[in-house]
Order: sequence, then C-alpha cells, then structure tokens
Amino acid sequence: MPCQRTQSLLSVGFLILTLAGNVSGAEIRGGPITPEERQLWSLQPIEDKTPPHIESKWARNAIDAFILDALEERGMQPVGSADKRTLIRRVTYDLIGLPPTPDEVEAFVADDTPSAFKNVVERLLRSSHYGEHWGRHWLDVVRYADTAGETGDYPVRFAYKYRNWVINAYNADMPYDEFVRLQLAGDLIAARANQLSPEDYANHIVATGFIAISRRFGFDVENYHYLTIQDTLDTLSQSVLGLTLGCARCHDHKYDPVNADDYYALYGIFESTKYSFPGSEEKKRPYDMVPLTPPGAEQTAIDHAYGAFDGEPKDARIHKRGDHKSLGETVARRNLTILGGDRLPEHETGSGRLQLAEWFTRTDNPLTARVMVNRLWQKHFGQGLVRTENDFGARGERPTHPELLDWLASRFIESGWSMKTMHRLIVNSATYQLASIEKPDYAEIDPEDRFLWRFPRRRLSAEEYRDSVLYLSGQLALDMGGEHPFPAEDTWGFTQHAPYYGVYKTNTRSVYLMQQRLKRHPFLALFDGADPNVSTAERLITTTPTQALYLMNSPFVHDNAMAFAVKSARLTKPDLINSAHTAILGRKPTSEEIDAGLTFLKVYTERLADSEVAQEARSREALAAYIRTLFVRNEFLFVD
Amino acid sequence: MITSNRRQFLQGASGGFGAIALNGILSKLAQAEGSQGFVDPLAPRKPRFQAKAKRIIFLYMTGGVSHVESFDHKPRLFADDRKAITVDNWQGKSGDFKRYLRRPKWGFQPGGQSGTMVSDLFPHMRHVVDDLCVIRSMVTDHTNHYESTLGMHCGSWTFARPSIGSWISYGLGSENENLPAFMVVAPNEPYAGAQTWGSDFLPGCHQGTRIRPGKNPIENLQRRSLTDPLQQLELGLIADANRRHLVGRESDTALEARIKSLETAFGMQAVAPEVLDLSKESDATLAMYGITRDNPTGFGWQCLIGRRLAEQGVRFIELIDTGSSNNWDSHGNMKDHVKLAKNVDQPIAGLIKDLKQRGLFEDTLVVWTTEFGRTPYHENLDHPGREHHHQVFSSWLAGAGIKPGIVHGASDEHGIGVAEDPVHVHDFHATILHLLGLDHEKLTFRHAGRDYRLTDVHGNVAEKILA
Repeated sequence: MPCQRTQSLLSVGFLILTLAGNVSGAEIRGGPITPEERQLWSLQPIEDKTPPHIESKWARNAIDAFILDALEERGMQPVGSADKRTLIRRVTYDLIGLPPTPDEVEAFVADDTPSAFKNVVERLLRSSHYGEHWGRHWLDVVRYADTAGETGDYPVRFAYKYRNWVINAYNADMPYDEFVRLQLAGDLIAARANQLSPEDYANHIVATGFIAISRRFGFDVENYHYLTIQDTLDTLSQSVLGLTLGCARCHDHKYDPVNADDYYALYGIFESTKYSFPGSEEKKRPYDMVPLTPPGAEQTAIDHAYGAFDGEPKDARIHKRGDHKSLGETVARRNLTILGGDRLPEHETGSGRLQLAEWFTRTDNPLTARVMVNRLWQKHFGQGLVRTENDFGARGERPTHPELLDWLASRFIESGWSMKTMHRLIVNSATYQLASIEKPDYAEIDPEDRFLWRFPRRRLSAEEYRDSVLYLSGQLALDMGGEHPFPAEDTWGFTQHAPYYGVYKTNTRSVYLMQQRLKRHPFLALFDGADPNVSTAERLITTTPTQALYLMNSPFVHDNAMAFAVKSARLTKPDLINSAHTAILGRKPTSEEIDAGLTFLKVYTERLADSEVAQEARSREALAAYIRTLFVRNEFLFVD
Repeated sequence: MITSNRRQFLQGASGGFGAIALNGILSKLAQAEGSQGFVDPLAPRKPRFQAKAKRIIFLYMTGGVSHVESFDHKPRLFADDRKAITVDNWQGKSGDFKRYLRRPKWGFQPGGQSGTMVSDLFPHMRHVVDDLCVIRSMVTDHTNHYESTLGMHCGSWTFARPSIGSWISYGLGSENENLPAFMVVAPNEPYAGAQTWGSDFLPGCHQGTRIRPGKNPIENLQRRSLTDPLQQLELGLIADANRRHLVGRESDTALEARIKSLETAFGMQAVAPEVLDLSKESDATLAMYGITRDNPTGFGWQCLIGRRLAEQGVRFIELIDTGSSNNWDSHGNMKDHVKLAKNVDQPIAGLIKDLKQRGLFEDTLVVWTTEFGRTPYHENLDHPGREHHHQVFSSWLAGAGIKPGIVHGASDEHGIGVAEDPVHVHDFHATILHLLGLDHEKLTFRHAGRDYRLTDVHGNVAEKILA
C-alpha cells in the first residue's frame, strides 16, 4: 500500500517539518504586532535622499556618489576602471549571457566617442537574448520547473508558455508592477479589460502560470493542495516582498511582524483560486487547463495554458499548528497587516487576487520596489545591497548602502518600474566599470568587497557556459524554445516507483532546457543551476573535480570544440589561434601564446601519429584539442 | 606521493613539450624545487598534535533512527507501555503535552564481552559491539530533518556552513593527490541536499565529491582525448594559461580551486576506476559485506567502496544510506525500520571486521550517526509510528583513538531526555576533530571579518571516551 504510506508520511512529516524548533540567536516574537516591530527597517517608507556631495573625477552618476561616500568613510578609494576589452565582455555577459563577438569588441575598443559604452548597452538591451538571460533570473526566484514535483513528477506540457511569457516581458521592458499584477491576476485583469487583443488576452492568462507552477505533493495531488497553496505563498512572499511568510503557517512568525491570521488571510485568496491540475499518480491525466480565448469567443481549436482562475470565493480558517485537519477561526481575506491590512470590498465576488495584485504593487508598499532593485543589483554585482535577497525581515541582513537602495527604488518607481532603466543606471555607473584587481590592504578592511572597492569577479553560470560554447562553435539555435517533447499524454502512468524522467537534447539556449523537480537536469545541477523546488535568490557556486571531469571529458565540450575546428579549418594556424583567442577570450593572443599554440599544434599532430587517427584528420584533431584548451581555461570560465 | 602517471607525464612533458606543460599541473613539484608555485590547498598537512586517526568513515543514516530501538535499551519503556505521561517539550515547543509511552517493537540482547545491549534490528552490529563506543546521550538543536541534518554535518542549524568533511580536508589535506580528500558515496541526496557536503566559504576544493551507485558512479570519468600523452599536452597548456591568468588575481580562491580541480580530475581518471573495480575482491570479502559478485548493491557496496577509498588515503569518506525520502523517518509505522536496518546492519559489521583484518582499524575512525532519534511516546495511543526526537538520541564511534566496548552517557529511564554526560553535536564534532589531531578551537577560517569554526563558540571534547 504505497499510497497510504506516502500519505501518512506527508501529513505527519510536513506537520513536523513546519513546527518550530529551537532556533538560537534571535529574539522570538508572537502575538499582536507591536509599534517596535513596525520599526523594521524594510517596512519604513522609501526615502528619496539627495546623493551625497562628493568631489571626484571618477564618479559618473549618483550611484557612484553613494558608493564613494561609503568607501571614503572606511578609508578606501575605487581601485580604478576596467579596460575596454574587460568591460565589453563583462557587460555583454551581464546583459545577454553570451560573449561579445570579435567585431563588437574591436568596434568598441576603436570607438573613442563619449557615448561608446552607452551605445553598447543600448544594443544589448535591444537584443532578444536579454530576456533569455534576465528572464532566467526571475525563473530562479519563482522556482520554475517543467514538472509538477509530486510523487510521479508529472510533466507540465504548458509550463513553457509561462517561461516564454517571462522572457518576452523582460524583452518588452514590461513595467515590473504590471509584471507582478499579471502573474497574480492576469485572468481577472483580462476579464475586466476593454479591447484587449486576442494575443494580449492569451498572454494575461499565461502569466498566471506563476500560480499554477507551484509545487504539487503526494500521491493524489488534490489531497495536498493546502501544501501547494503554502508553496505559492512562500514563493510569492519571498519573490515579491522579500518576506519568509511560510513560518506563519503554523504560528505567528517568530521574527517578523507577520501573524498566522495574516497568513490565512492570504491563504483564503488562493483557496478561492483554482489551479490547473497537472496529473498525478492517482489521476493520471491533467485537467482544468485555462482556455486562452475569452468565454463566448468564436473558437475552433482552443489553445490552453497551465494557469489559475477563480473558484468558489471563501475565507479560510486557520490551520492550528499548521495542521489542515485542525481548523481554528475564520480569517477574512485581506492584505498583510504591515502593508495596510486592506480588506476586500464588500460584496466582492472574486477570489481577491485582483486586489492582492494591487496591494502588493502599490507605491506606498516599501518592500516591492526595494526587493526588486536589490535583485537587479545582486545579479550585476554578485551580491545584493541586502545580501539576503529573499529575506528583508528581522533575520535578514541590513543593507550596506540603505540610502542607495532607497534612491534606486525611487528611480525604479519614477521610471514606471522599468527594469531596463535600472540596468542603464547601474551599468553606466563608474562603480560597475571598476577593475577587478587585487589590493591587499583593502582586502583586509573589506574582504568580501561589500563596499565595492573593486568589481567582483564571477564564474560563468551553467547556462552562460553552455550557451557560450554552443554559440562560439556555431551550434547555438537562436530561436525561442517551445514545448518539450514529453511522451503523449494518453500514455502517462507515472508513479513514485517509476516517476517521469527525461533529458531532451536541444541546441537552444539553456533557459529552454526541460527542468524537472524530482531529478535535476544533470548539466545544470553539476554547474550550480537553480534548484527548481525553492526560490533561488542567489546561486551558490561550487568547484568540484566532477565539473573538471565534465570540462575534460564530456562529449559536449569535445563535440563543440570539433565543430569550432571544422568551421575554422581553412585558416592558417596563426590566424586560427588569433581568431579563436579573440572569439573565446575576447582578446588577441600575445606572441608567446601564438608560439605556444603553434608548438602545441605541431607536437599534438606528431603524437597523433601513434594513434588510429588517419593522417588527413590529424591536423583537425589537434585543432579541436587546442580549442578545448580555450574552453576549459579560467580566463574563459570567469568574468572579470 | 608521485604516481607513476605523474612521473611519466613529467618525463614526457620535459622531453617533448618543454617548460609550458611543467608549470601548472606539476605545481607541487615546482614548489618542492623552490620555485614560486601557488600553495596547494590540498597538500597533506600535519595535525596540530599526534593523533591515532588518519581518516574517517562517516556512516550517516538519513531520517532519524529510533534510539530506543537501536542502541539505547530502556527496560522501563517496555514496562510502561501505553502509560500516559506529560512531556514539557514537544518538537521544540514548551508546554504540557499528554503523550503515551510506546514500548520498543524489537527486543534487546547483550553483545560480546562488554554485554552492551543492542536491539534485534541490528544482530550483526551487536556482534561487533565490543569494538564500538556507543553514545546514548547525543543532543541536537532542532526537530526538523533539514535543520538537524545540516547541524550534524555543518555545526549550524540555520545557515549552510562548511561541512565537517570539508573542515577536515581543509585541516589535513589529502594523502592522495589523485582523489579528493572528501568523498561521499550516496545513492540519493539527504535533507538539505548537497549542502551537507558543501564547503561554503572554505575553498571549493574541500567540498565532497559524490559517487553514486550504478553504471556511471562518476560522470565523465573516462578520458575522451585519444591517449594519455595527448591529454597531458592539453592539460599542460591549460595549466600554464591558468597560472598566467592567476597573476594579479592571487587572492581569488575560486580560480585556484578550479586549477586544483583539474589536477585532481586528471588523477581521478586513473585512480577512481581502480577503486570502483571490485573484481579483485574475494568472494569471502564480498560475503562479509553481504553482497555478491552478481549483485553488488545497497549499503554493502557503499561500505566496500568506503574501505577501498580508505585504503587510498581519502581523508573523509561519508556513506549516506538513503535520501530525503523512503528513509528512517518512520512516522507512519516503525516497521519501516526493518528493511532500512537490513540494508546497513551486516555491511557495517562487515566493514569493521574488514578494517580490522587489514590493519586499517588502528588509524581509521568509524562514526555512525543520524540527525536525531524518535519519540519514545506518541500522541495517539495506538499509532504505530514515532515522531522526531532531538532531545536525546544515540550514535557510536569506533576505531582509532576510541575506548572500545564502552557505553558513554545515558538517557533517562524512558529515553526522553539526557540523564548523564550529554554529548551535543558540537561536542561530537569537537571529539571527532580531536581524534584526528585537530583542535576544534584552533581550526578556523577567516570569513566575513571573523574566524569561523566547525563548532562555532561551543564544543567540549568527550574526554571519557578517548583511549
């Protein structure tokens, strides 16, 4: 009786999982929210202070004033600016996740006009690769996956539509407040809008995939829907508000001013919402997919999304100690107390998602803008101004530059929540353009570079590495990925003993790889891709011999190096070394490097004489080996 | 130790490819010759003081093994079956909670000369109990799997910190430069996933490398370049480029770790297949671990691989029996312990015997633990399961530096709380480090402006159990 066992495991296990343990080191709270608790820094209104006055030729914009001021306070100065080749490689990876082409590098190096860098930035922000790179960041935060995560890990055929919607929204610079509202209530907003084009209507529905991709649990998913709602609330609160609301499921939050009644006020909103059903061990087939056309519209073949729609509206009862079978008092659906506690309008017949979407994106909500600009900052600089990007609560860290954070949040709102405006501000700062060099005395004062005396070096992400190698070898498919080649729905019978498992080969960008919940994609897992089960604010980068084995021995690296060699076969050897260096590393080789490369090719070809490789193929084989040495070296793997 | 592979490489490289290839991958040799190589973070280091244990085999049972049904015999719990009691700590919450004592589902028998009581779930381990030092007074800080798994591995229950294996790799380096100092043999990820063998802020080369059962224990282990000399040419060029790249970037441990990882991976290609190849093990040896040549699977396979890694000088070998599901977390029914015990009992006893017969037991410390115990009581009188219990549980140590055949610490009459000699996880860690010759207060790493240790600001060595 595997199902029963799982159920008992789940019901008891999850109860235990969320009960409080002895957590040391912080004040434990509970009960009514006190005025002191409301003094939490992140709940204070955003203050738009004038940047500090500084005397500096180095500074380019207001960001630099804040940064320099904090550096000088600690007896430091910026270490100097990065050279142009470093800079174009850095900004190209940071904005589109791919390396610059040799032509782009040379054009930028040769361009002495004051707008040279700005022009590069504008070109990158117009590229459709921008959304593929930055959309992935949001997908990390909302723990996107292509499977449901219950015992059989059922594939979710239409999840990709939400993924692509995110990418398109970034490319279109959709205002962030609208971006959030559509994910929470796209269906309700579409139903009220006049004159929405059929395409926009469909996109509004697809956006609610944010809700539907919540993790599913157990043998019969519907029995554990309360856990799925918890997962929605956890992810929603961390991603949009930077709060760990999940704790309030079983008891008043122990550290942050959020109580169990707040939790169940929001819970009711999602309990009044229907989620598309992905299929499960018990019920093998999906249902409740959402039509992409308005009711009553003329339709032939109806397209669907994996999304959310309103169900029976009702207020939730508190689950005592998180136990969904032990129900307490009913809590009216409303906003969090700390965000105003707004109630639904009287006679409201909807779930409340429409109002929730407004509450969470109001400009007087101090969290939403701060949390998002901090995420943008984090991905540009490796760490946020608040390093606990998902936790702006009492247990999270304080911002290193609180006034800069608020200044950025103010600009964000002022720009109409334009993410591209924020990128422009950030990357055009002198701070972003700092060199990443050593300075031992500063390393003593600020070992983690929290005050940005230099630019922090970073390793390429899993996606960047794979995409770059494919791109450089000419193998990258530049089109947008679509539906995954899952087995036909009528064959589905996945169970906990034989769960769904798939890895599909594709040469599209890595954001389009099929990502499973129960089994990670092997390549993405090896190189620290995001965990599709929990909101990932920042990826932890590891260095392992198993990664090194991949770099040395995987078919991927070998095949692409060979493809590079084949497409360059007509070049003379010195030209080939030159062009490979420029393409892969973004700089020309030194004369020593050319000599070393030529010696390598010669010796390698000679030693191939001992192998079974035919004579005419030896030179190509040596070339591919040389390309591999470029694909594996630190200069390629890291961005200065 | 220079392997023949490296020697060949040295000769081959200096003959054909000149100085370029010499620099990087042979940094260790270069260093020995007094040139300016970087300091190899995995070079073997002497412990602070003389110690018997050179390496650890850490046996981790995922999910929370019932202490009152393994190594903590509680006659009163048998006698007081179904008796209502009031407990003041329920899963970390204080209050008055009515609960029913439930007798162990399995009987206990004395084992060996020491007569230490071991449950009938573990007849094979009972057979080697004279070699074990059983601790019946373990304490951890949290009632959740995630937190307590993290706590047992990283000494931190909230945030990920360097795991114990990575601290030991950092403290002692590797005795075999062709293998990582820290290897984890695990069919699945435990709670908290790869953080349990992560290095966090310690240099990345100290994190655990995972071996899985099955056809492909380590992905991409097989050289794809056509011959060894050809691959060495490639690695030589890469190593040289990496060393040039490192100039002006010396403080970046990630770069250095990457360089080191290539060297280790190169060595692993030759050494790991030998370690994983059981064809030279006798049938008698396989039988000790409860496996057969046709079906070398389960924890028996893991234990045998563990012994072979120990022979190769791997410093910290962790064997994790299950993952974050289908494990010892028997909320539903304690009978689930049966198949889990069967999976590990004979292999662990076999491992101890095998280490002894090969003379490895003298300098190997074997640790058996789990994240917490299970409640001796239940909320519902007739419920056949047990919940998480972090106030007291059992572990054992064996081998180098340990008093064999003793019991240390005790729980109260029902196995609810500690009665004497509490061994908190921090104390457990301090003791393990001590046995390896490391002072837990002095093994520190400067990070974020302060010196971090595995034991934070806690930890006392359990002196009574030291030989």
